[in-house]
Amino acid sequence: MRQLTTINQMPAPNHYVAYKPRPFKKEERGNVTILYGGLTWKHERLIQGAFHNLKYNAEPLPNIARDDLDAGKELIDVGACCPTIFTTGSLVNLLKKKVAEQGKSDVANKYVFLTAGACGPCRFGQYHESYAMALDGLGLRDFRIFLLAQDELDQSTADEAGLEINMPLSLGLIWGILCADLLTDLEYMTRPYEVNPGQTDRVLKKSIEYLYTIFLERPHQDNKYGTLAWHLLSGYFTRALRVVRKKWDTIEVDHLRVKTGVKITGEFWLQTHEGEGNYNIKRWLEQEDAEVIPPPVAVWLHYLLHPTIRKLEKRNSKGKHERLEHMALHALERIYRGTYNRFRKALANLPHELPDQEELLRLAEPFYHFELRGGEGHMLIGKALHTYHHKKAHMTCELSPYSCMPNTMSIGSMANVLGRYPDLLYAPIEVKGDSEVHALSRCQMILTEAKRRAKAEFEAALKKTGLTVEAVRKYEERHPELRRATYRVPHLGCAGTAANYVLHLANDRGLANGEGKPCLP
Amino acid sequence: MPTLTWPTFFARKGAGANRAKDRSQLRVGIPKVLNIWTTHQFWVGFLKALGIASENIVFSSDTSEEQGREFGKGRGTVDCCYPVKCISGHYGELIFGQKKKINILLSPMIHSLPSVLHGHVMDTVTCTRVMAGPENIKAGFMKERDVFAENEITYASPFVSLGDRHMVTEQLHRDLKDIFDLDLEETARAVQSGFQALDTFSAKARQRSREILTWCARNQKPCVLVLARPYHMDTGIGHEIEGELQAHGYPILWLQYLPDDPDLMNWLFEADIRAEKIKSPFDILDVWPSSYSSNTNEIMWGAKFAARCPWITCVVRLSSYECGMDQPTYTPTQKIVEATGTLFFKFGDLDSTKPSGSIRIRVETIVHYMAKYSEGVIRRKLGWLSPNSPLAELSPVTQSACFQMTRDAGVGDQRDSDPSRHRPDDVRCLP
Repeated sequence: MRQLTTINQMPAPNHYVAYKPRPFKKEERGNVTILYGGLTWKHERLIQGAFHNLKYNAEPLPNIARDDLDAGKELIDVGACCPTIFTTGSLVNLLKKKVAEQGKSDVANKYVFLTAGACGPCRFGQYHESYAMALDGLGLRDFRIFLLAQDELDQSTADEAGLEINMPLSLGLIWGILCADLLTDLEYMTRPYEVNPGQTDRVLKKSIEYLYTIFLERPHQDNKYGTLAWHLLSGYFTRALRVVRKKWDTIEVDHLRVKTGVKITGEFWLQTHEGEGNYNIKRWLEQEDAEVIPPPVAVWLHYLLHPTIRKLEKRNSKGKHERLEHMALHALERIYRGTYNRFRKALANLPHELPDQEELLRLAEPFYHFELRGGEGHMLIGKALHTYHHKKAHMTCELSPYSCMPNTMSIGSMANVLGRYPDLLYAPIEVKGDSEVHALSRCQMILTEAKRRAKAEFEAALKKTGLTVEAVRKYEERHPELRRATYRVPHLGCAGTAANYVLHLANDRGLANGEGKPCLP
Repeated sequence: MPTLTWPTFFARKGAGANRAKDRSQLRVGIPKVLNIWTTHQFWVGFLKALGIASENIVFSSDTSEEQGREFGKGRGTVDCCYPVKCISGHYGELIFGQKKKINILLSPMIHSLPSVLHGHVMDTVTCTRVMAGPENIKAGFMKERDVFAENEITYASPFVSLGDRHMVTEQLHRDLKDIFDLDLEETARAVQSGFQALDTFSAKARQRSREILTWCARNQKPCVLVLARPYHMDTGIGHEIEGELQAHGYPILWLQYLPDDPDLMNWLFEADIRAEKIKSPFDILDVWPSSYSSNTNEIMWGAKFAARCPWITCVVRLSSYECGMDQPTYTPTQKIVEATGTLFFKFGDLDSTKPSGSIRIRVETIVHYMAKYSEGVIRRKLGWLSPNSPLAELSPVTQSACFQMTRDAGVGDQRDSDPSRHRPDDVRCLP
């Protein structure tokens, strides 16, 4: 490059510069509150425990409300996808409230917002621009927003940083997410069958508060390797989860209720969210006699660290010991699954297992290349087929934000899947945030057929086993443990819990008149 | 044993593998869509190196509503942006609309792109819809029955990272070896030919842009930069808006082929480098920290280039309906361009229908503003740059006038944060 010449002209003009937050320093930590959000209240509470454990002030954003959509739309460029509009609006509304209470200067100095960043091709990774526009609109350019990379456990750069993304914090956040996922699974598999309405929600709240204290009191280790080893080997969390299991023992359930299994998939934020951001669709489905199978955040984390799937990300950073690194990543992936299963075991193996990422890849491969990046990639097709082939639910409901770039592509490719498997029940729901009736009625159309199948499946199970509802009831009277929420109904090839329950009683508990037979081909 | 089998019997082992494979009769159709608009030379070079005759490499026509109606009807699987949605028509045209049938439909899934910014940005990956578009469109031709098989066409959709040259041979060999009967060695040679063809073409196009800028500099004439994605070159997607402007006598530059010569780059960006705002003329960290997406990065860089280059007095931004990648960039690009008083006009939400009337009216508006303000914009921007322009020698009188005018106008003062002072209305043009 040629040597630069001397400039003898006028000073340079005020060129545009992107938003860059001023540093959040260590000495500010005691006076600054970290705001975060984007998950469920359960995840956010346990994450708060992990933050508080490390002496950070942390506060989740309030749960998303319909007003947030309007607030977001007012301040960012037109055409953003609804998760961005909602989360920006939520931050805006909170900041407005705080400004009214404390004044702009205090808000800019006493709060920072932490959100996930991304390096993929989806615009999700570029939404810092929307947040910056919203801050401009509020006159809060001084407010600090930080992006957290999702695939690095240790992002510590300076010792004096106010927020140290180090091993204790990252593992605290991940372990918090895993525990919240497991409890969410328990919640959704229990509530549709609870005998005393509201009991599941009450026990859930108590369990989350208990786990919050567990995260708050998490022992500190000397160094990052010690921290890693302790998290992987200690019985601290499994003991706590066993205490939680005892709390769930108190919930009485009726597994003979015929519920339609609905597997929720979709864009990360929409599928995880519980509230007005996705029309409260999970609660609505429960009101419609469905048992929702919620999507754990853990599946996303699993996808992020899977070495086969993420090989492309490492394409320009080949180390000296590539083979060794690859083996280490595979080992890490196994340890991750092992940890999740260890936690499941502490909860009597009630929560669902994580799907095998290699299988998802294999199932999706004829329809969607696994290296296509952005959003959930091939996983949406893989999950729909996994649900279908393994009879995990009667239907799949995919929640996709309006104008979501990667989701529209996999929904389009699902046409090919449906051509090959015409009896796969699939409801792609486009969520704009303000067209609830349209979205729910669209779901209702597929749900009607799924309900019919659930009922037929249950009746077939009774017929095959020769059992009657009355006979099961009498048996339950003699065996009250069957009506506990912690009683595990094994998956015996049916999509519905009630049908599996009948088969289980017939085959495994010897209740059948004749020899136990598999439910349906 | 028949005599004719003797040569085979005594042939050297493996000799068959080395004989030239005759692919001269193979006919390959490529949908002219998305990033094919800036990588087409690679594919032509690659296929020709494999022995496919030039006349047997068939590109679909430019996008049109008729094409969609005739060949793509009923093949759509989801509502998305028009540049992806229209691909059904291109596939259909190649399958059903050829007098001489094609044997292979080649629709690459391009994961990353060659870019002038490579090495200066975090990544050069493509838009997620652009990358996955072929899978989505394929579904429309397979959902009821396999239309490709029915028409005796082999569908080939290699996943390829053109921005990461070291990976391309392996990727193309993996996905095309059975279709073209390829071995690794000849794939490597063909990939090399493909990149050679692409590089030669890009260098020529950039040189041509430089010639245009040089002409503008020598004659102190303005030109227009089109800030758009590659597929807006398609007359059915970009609707030839730049053509209307060109008809009024303004030379047109496309950001994809802006000159990248070191002398010009240093001249335009030396103040920013000296102030340590950027590390190189191709660094966009100052305006766009998440520089992952190739076309978005280039749009940002193009906006910076236009804001600094004196003879680009007007930027025309094109954006298609529901373009998710463009959406977060609307405000930053406008702010980058307008910071130096350069005119900025956006044609947004472009769709299948060409709004001829409104395009004409807006073009007249643009032409009016360009006629009125271009001279001032040129002089003002020259006032901020070193007198050693690599494009044309400027007379000391012109330089002095530019300097005086910029100072009088008050723009460029770092303390001046009032954006209204940067509007073209405030620029005082010299007679």
